[in-house]
Amino acid sequence: MTSKVLAMSASLAALVLSGLTAGSATAQSITIAIGSEPSTLDPQLRDDGGERQINDNIYEALMARTPDGELIPGLAAEAPVQIDDTTWQFKLREGVMFHNGTPFTAESVVGSVLRVIDPANNSEQLSYFSSVSGAEAVDELTVNIKTSGPDPILPSRMYWMKMIDPGYAAEGDLAGVPVGTGPYMFDAWNRGADLTLVVNPDYWGGEAQIDDVTYRFVPEAGTRLSGLMAGEFDVITNLLPEFTTSVPKFAAVPGLETSVFVLGTDNEVTQDPKVREALNLAIDRQSMVDGLFMGYATVAKGSHVNPAAFGFNETLDYYPYDLDRAKALIEEAGAVGKPLVVIGESGRWLKDREQIEVVAAYWAETGLDVSTEIQEFSQYLDSLMGSGPRPDAIFIANSNELLDADREMSYIYHMDGAAASNSDADMAAMIDAARVETDVDKRKALYDEAQQLGHDLNFTVPLFNLEDIYGMSERMDWQPRTDAKLIVSEMTVTE
Amino acid sequence: MIEFILRRLFQGALVVLGVTATVFVVTRLAGDPVALMLPLSATAEQRAAFSAQIGLDQPIWIQFARYAQDVVTLDFGDSLWQRRPAMEVVLERLPNTALLVATGLGGAVLLSIPMGAVAALRPGGLVDRLTTSLSLLGLAMPQFWLGLMAIMVFSVMLKWLPTSGFGTPAHLVLPAITLALTPLARFTMMVRAAMIDELNKQYVQTARAKGLTLRRILRVHTLRNILVPFLSISGWELITALSGYTVVVETVFGWPGLGLTAVQAIQRGDLFLVQAIVFSIAFMIVVIGILMDVISKLIDPRIELN
Repeated sequence: MTSKVLAMSASLAALVLSGLTAGSATAQSITIAIGSEPSTLDPQLRDDGGERQINDNIYEALMARTPDGELIPGLAAEAPVQIDDTTWQFKLREGVMFHNGTPFTAESVVGSVLRVIDPANNSEQLSYFSSVSGAEAVDELTVNIKTSGPDPILPSRMYWMKMIDPGYAAEGDLAGVPVGTGPYMFDAWNRGADLTLVVNPDYWGGEAQIDDVTYRFVPEAGTRLSGLMAGEFDVITNLLPEFTTSVPKFAAVPGLETSVFVLGTDNEVTQDPKVREALNLAIDRQSMVDGLFMGYATVAKGSHVNPAAFGFNETLDYYPYDLDRAKALIEEAGAVGKPLVVIGESGRWLKDREQIEVVAAYWAETGLDVSTEIQEFSQYLDSLMGSGPRPDAIFIANSNELLDADREMSYIYHMDGAAASNSDADMAAMIDAARVETDVDKRKALYDEAQQLGHDLNFTVPLFNLEDIYGMSERMDWQPRTDAKLIVSEMTVTE
Repeated sequence: MIEFILRRLFQGALVVLGVTATVFVVTRLAGDPVALMLPLSATAEQRAAFSAQIGLDQPIWIQFARYAQDVVTLDFGDSLWQRRPAMEVVLERLPNTALLVATGLGGAVLLSIPMGAVAALRPGGLVDRLTTSLSLLGLAMPQFWLGLMAIMVFSVMLKWLPTSGFGTPAHLVLPAITLALTPLARFTMMVRAAMIDELNKQYVQTARAKGLTLRRILRVHTLRNILVPFLSISGWELITALSGYTVVVETVFGWPGLGLTAVQAIQRGDLFLVQAIVFSIAFMIVVIGILMDVISKLIDPRIELN
C-alpha cells in the first residue's frame, strides 16, 4: 500500500517535473537590429562596431567589466599580478572550452596576443595594444604578458583583446565561422540579410536564458524604429531621445562618450586664460541637457574625463552658468569683437551639430565675434589631428573604450596628444609620469592633479556625458551597459 | 550597324576610362581614408604604417599608374572595409540591386502602358484627371519620405510586410514599390501625352473611317509608334535607378545592394570599393545606352544611328 502510494507520488512528481522542464525548454529567440553589418567576424583585425556587437557574445577576453564598468576577471581566474615592471601574470580559469571542443589554456592566450600584435596582420586594433610586446606560457593555466615599458593600463587593455583558438585561426575560417569561448555560438550568416547565434549549453558561466539571437542590419535609424514598433525587433540601438515616448520600452545608460571643445591655448584670442574661462562660464549646460537631450545626458563635472573611467577626478566643481561674469572677463581681456572660429562636424555623434551651434550662440553672447565651421568628416579629422594650426575651439565627442583616464589625458591634455591644443610641459610631465606609474593610488593622484590644472586653466570646455538609449520590445528585460556592449546573456525575456 | 556598335563601344570605353580617372582623383581628394579606418586613438606611427600597407604613402602618379594597371584586369584591390577583393563585393551585391531594379522598373513599365492609354482615351475625363494627379504626386514625393511612409503604413500599422531586410519575396515588395513610383509616374505621363498626340493624327482618323476598332488601332499602330520614345525614357529611368534611386531605397530598407554598399563605402572612406562600384555603374550605363540605341534601330529602321 505505502509502496504503491510512494510509487504513484514518485511518478506524479516525475510528470510534474517533466512538465516543468518542457515548459522552460520552449525556445526563446530574440532579434536585435544593429546599424551596420560586420565586415568580418575575425575578432582581432578590425575596429568595427558591427563586428564587436556580435563577437562580444561569441568571444571573451581575460578581463571583463560589470554593467557599471568595473573591471573584473573574465577568462582570467583572478586579477592579474604584476611580477616586474613589464610583466603581468594572469592565472586562467579552469575547464573553459572553445566551441569546437579545444580547451582554453595559456597557449591560447599566447597565440591570441601574438596574432593581434603581429605587424603582418595589420590589425586596426593595434592602438589599443601598442604597449604589448609579447606573451609566454608559464604553465598550462598561467601566462605572462610582456609590455615594452611599464604599463598600468594593461589589465584594461586585456579587456579589449578577444581570445581565439590559435589552432583554429591557422586552419579554420575565423572570418566566416567564429569559434570562441563565450555564452553564444555562431550559427549562420546570410550576408546582407542576417546573422544568428545559438546559446552555448556548456558555457563555463552557466547556460544563458535566451536560446538564440538573430541580428538584423538596418542602417537607417527611422527604419530601426519602425521595425521595433512593428514587433520585428526586440532591441534596437541608438534610439534618439525624442523617440523614447513612442517605443514600447527603452533603457538609457551613461555611455562612453563625453562631448567637449578643445581650446587652442596658443591662439591669438584663446591664449588668454580669461577668455577661456569666459567660454566655460557662458554655456547653460543644464538647459541644453533638458532641451537637446530631453534629459538623456549629464553635465560633465568640470572635466572631459569619463566619470566611469579610472582616474576621473570626482572633486572638481561644475562650471557654473554665469553670463555676466563671462562678459566681464571678455571685457577685461580686451577681446570684445575679436574673432573666435569654432570647428566641428555633423552626423558622426549624437546631436553633434546641434551642440556646436547652441554653444556657438552662447559664446556669441559674450561679445566675441563667433563663426562656426561645420566640416566634412575627413577634413574635420585633419583639423582635429593634423599638423596644421590648432583651431580656436574644436568639438569632439570623445569615447573612452578602455575606461581609463589615460585616454583623455594622452589624447587631449598631453601637449603631444593628437587632439591636444596646448603646449603645457608641466601637464605633459604629469601625464607621462602617470602612464608608467604602476602604483594605483599614485597614478590616480597624478590624474587628479592634471585634471585640476586643466580645469583651472580652462584648456577644454567639457559639455556632457552622453547616454546611450536602446529601444526594446515589451517582453525584453535588460539593463544596458556603460561600455555599450550588447551582451545577450545579460538579457532576459518575460512572456 | 556593326560599325555603329563598334564606334559606340569605343566611345563607351573612353567614358568609362574618364569616369575611372575622375573617381581616382576625387577619392584621393576626399580626405585620408586611414583617419576614418583607425580608431581616433591610433598614433601617428600606426597611421603611417597602415597607410604604407595599402599603398597610400606612394606619390599620386605611382598610385595612379598601379591603379590603371589593375583596372585593365578588373582588379580594384581589396576593399578596406571588407578586407576582400572590392570586385568580389560588387559582384555579390549587384544581383540584389538588379533584382530590385528589375522588379520595380518592370512593374512600372507594365502598369504605365494601360494606365497612360486609358487616360489618353478621354483627355480631361475622370480617369485622366485621377491618373494625372496621381502621377504628379508620384513625381513630387521624395523617395526617402515615401519609403518611410510605406513602412509606417504597411509594416507598422497594417503589419502586412516586413519593415526592412532581405531574403523572401515579402521583403522585396515595399522597396520595389517605393523605387517604382517615380518612374511609374513619369512613364504614365509620357504614354498619355504620346497617345493623345498619336490619336489625333491623320492615320488614326483614316483607320477609324475604314471601320477598324479602336483596340486594333491602338495595338497595331499607335503603341508601336510610341514604343521608341518610351524605350528611350525607360533607358534613362533605368540609368537613374541604378545610379540614384537604389542609393536611397536600399538605405531606407536595408537592402544589401550596390547603392547601400556605395553609401557605406563612402562613409568608411573605402576608396577601393568606391572605385569598383563607380566603375561598374559607369560600365552598366554605357552598355545600357548602346543597347537602347540598337533596340530603337531594330524597332524603327528610320532612326539614323550616328
